[in-house]
Amino acid sequence: MKRKACRAGVVFLALLALIVAVSPMEAGASSKEPIVLGVPTSLYTPFGRDGLKAVKLAVEEINAGGGVLVGGQRRPLEVVVADTRGGEPGTPVHDALMAYEKLITEKKPHAIVIGAFRSEVLIASMDLVAKYRIPQLGTIAQTPRFQAKIKKDPEKYKYLFRVTTDALVDASYINRTLDKLKNDFGMNRIYFIYQDTLWAKAFSGLMSKHCKAQGWTQLGFDGYAAGATDFSPALTNAKAGKAQVIGMVWDVPLGAGVFVKQYVAMKVPALLIGFIPPMASPMAVKTVGPEVEYSLSVEFPVGASLPLKKLPKTVEFLNKFKQKYGSLPEAAAVNSSAYDAVFILAEAIERAGSLDPDKLVVELEKTDYRGVSGRIRFNEQHVAVFGHEDPNETGVCVVFQWQKGADGTLRRVPVYPDFLAEGKILLPPWMK
Amino acid sequence: MIPTLLVYGLVNSVILALYALGFSLTYGISGLANFAHGALYILSGFAAWNLIHHMGIPLLPAALLSVALTGMLGFVFYWVLLLRIRGIALAELVVTFSAGVAILEILTWQGFYGIRYSLPVFLRGGIEVGGVAVDYQRLLVLGTGVVLVILLWLFVHHTRIGLAFRAMAQNERTALSVGIESDWVGSLSLAMGAALAAVAALVVLPLGVMESTIGYEVLIYALAVAIVGGLESTVGMILGSFLIGFGQVAAARFIGAKWMVIVPLAAIVVVLAVRPSGILGRFKELEERV
Repeated sequence: MKRKACRAGVVFLALLALIVAVSPMEAGASSKEPIVLGVPTSLYTPFGRDGLKAVKLAVEEINAGGGVLVGGQRRPLEVVVADTRGGEPGTPVHDALMAYEKLITEKKPHAIVIGAFRSEVLIASMDLVAKYRIPQLGTIAQTPRFQAKIKKDPEKYKYLFRVTTDALVDASYINRTLDKLKNDFGMNRIYFIYQDTLWAKAFSGLMSKHCKAQGWTQLGFDGYAAGATDFSPALTNAKAGKAQVIGMVWDVPLGAGVFVKQYVAMKVPALLIGFIPPMASPMAVKTVGPEVEYSLSVEFPVGASLPLKKLPKTVEFLNKFKQKYGSLPEAAAVNSSAYDAVFILAEAIERAGSLDPDKLVVELEKTDYRGVSGRIRFNEQHVAVFGHEDPNETGVCVVFQWQKGADGTLRRVPVYPDFLAEGKILLPPWMK
Repeated sequence: MIPTLLVYGLVNSVILALYALGFSLTYGISGLANFAHGALYILSGFAAWNLIHHMGIPLLPAALLSVALTGMLGFVFYWVLLLRIRGIALAELVVTFSAGVAILEILTWQGFYGIRYSLPVFLRGGIEVGGVAVDYQRLLVLGTGVVLVILLWLFVHHTRIGLAFRAMAQNERTALSVGIESDWVGSLSLAMGAALAAVAALVVLPLGVMESTIGYEVLIYALAVAIVGGLESTVGMILGSFLIGFGQVAAARFIGAKWMVIVPLAAIVVVLAVRPSGILGRFKELEERV
């Protein structure tokens, strides 16, 4: 009997020891519980795909350094993804929102990065994000209506931040370049073609307003549906009106690809300027052909795809990207913002010492981060501040032109702002 | 402006006709609405791209090989997916549509999107037609459209298989009674429709970049053209493509560029409301009279 009791006692003690021994391990495991970053975006677009790659790169670096310090314990970051398909022509906003909400409710992310691709989806998703109280650092959709909506109800939408530029910033860079074209080369006739979506309309609208104020003659302002496959009417008008410049804003690859090839085919003797992904991409020469020469594009913000000699962080980030993924990002936009967003979030979590969304928002508002895209601070509407003067003060963008180098190869030469310029704007021989 | 409208209206019309030619042919012969048509179109483009960039095959042989492969795929489609459900229209629709979606989603999943995929043009440069600059590739599109229509006419009127196609199109049971094997003809019609989709892809896709989503667009345009012109009528199909093609350019000129994409959808609605068989179609003619 005693022996049985003794055995039972030993088993009991062993179990107790096991429980005691396991408890700290469990506590340790829970301390390693990851901080979940949700990425609900349009994954099968260059912006979504490369943005996600940039996020994963940043996460890998942070995790390699031990993770993010929360309440005295380091926790790794984990990325969960949902493809909203919001960037594909024909996807209804409602469908994209369903994917967004599914990610939020099923994966329960502590924060969201990248977010909506299309501005229409961003605006609709703001209520969703506010409802679930999840801090979001958006890095693609560019509509200025974002900040207008926050301004209307700052308390409700306080969880939303934009780490990248908006259409106002992008347009301001093109506008300054247009001023150069006017002042240096006497150009004054412009035709606008834009994708009929919120951000592109805002972008081209600002360019149009600026040109009118600066004495340009505006020959046309044509919006095309995102799925358009023929631009001959606008290109004919531009040619007939003797446009010297065509301002083009388009982000859906398909239409942009058709446009640039048709522009080349119709031999329209006007400089292309704006944001046209196939023209701006590092692989533009391969996709479009040598006719990309002389076209001008804005890259927003710096470091998205073009390494800049004068900003070593852009070179460093893009080298890491190329090393890990085998090539530079495809689109000349927003990739560096996605990378910066993860570090901004990690720093805010460490400052807050908590994953509580309200505490996190307070710390995100205090952000002062020097990243690839410049110095990132948020204004009252939670939008990253961008300027034209100094990357130590604000985020910055760059305008570049495809130019032939001494060896005959085409390369992207930064031409604006002056502190980043590695060359001057060149006119094609047929315009001189 | 008028010369541009005529030239690019014509180019757009022929592109639409090329989109619809294979779809219309298959439906006209075997009554089979191949909803994987758009997927086969873009698949052939990516096949050619892979043959050129990964296997180093020159453009023309790569294009021919892609056409042959796509045609074979259409043939296999029939025997593997459609044989058992032949004659059940709804099942045919569901199966071909599902197969098309599967192809497009696999292409997307495999990374065939973005701005890096572009087929080379057969000939760089261009000329002026009536003061309107047109590139050689668009002229090739026009030429291909004309040549294909002529070849198809010759094929269905002067070859044994072509005559069998016509017999099937006119009356399947009678065709069976004279020894025409309907499954064989059906699979050949699907193969030929798929090959025609590939020919269209290889001349039209170099005008822009390639994305898997183009497959949906091509299917919608092919349907629009076929519905407007009459599902089984080749002449109707050509008429439908000209109506929509010129309608789009005219809409851009006189209403606004963003209305271009509305034209095919509006045309479908109007035709279905006024004459459900399409302009030259006869499928529902009796019902319409009644």
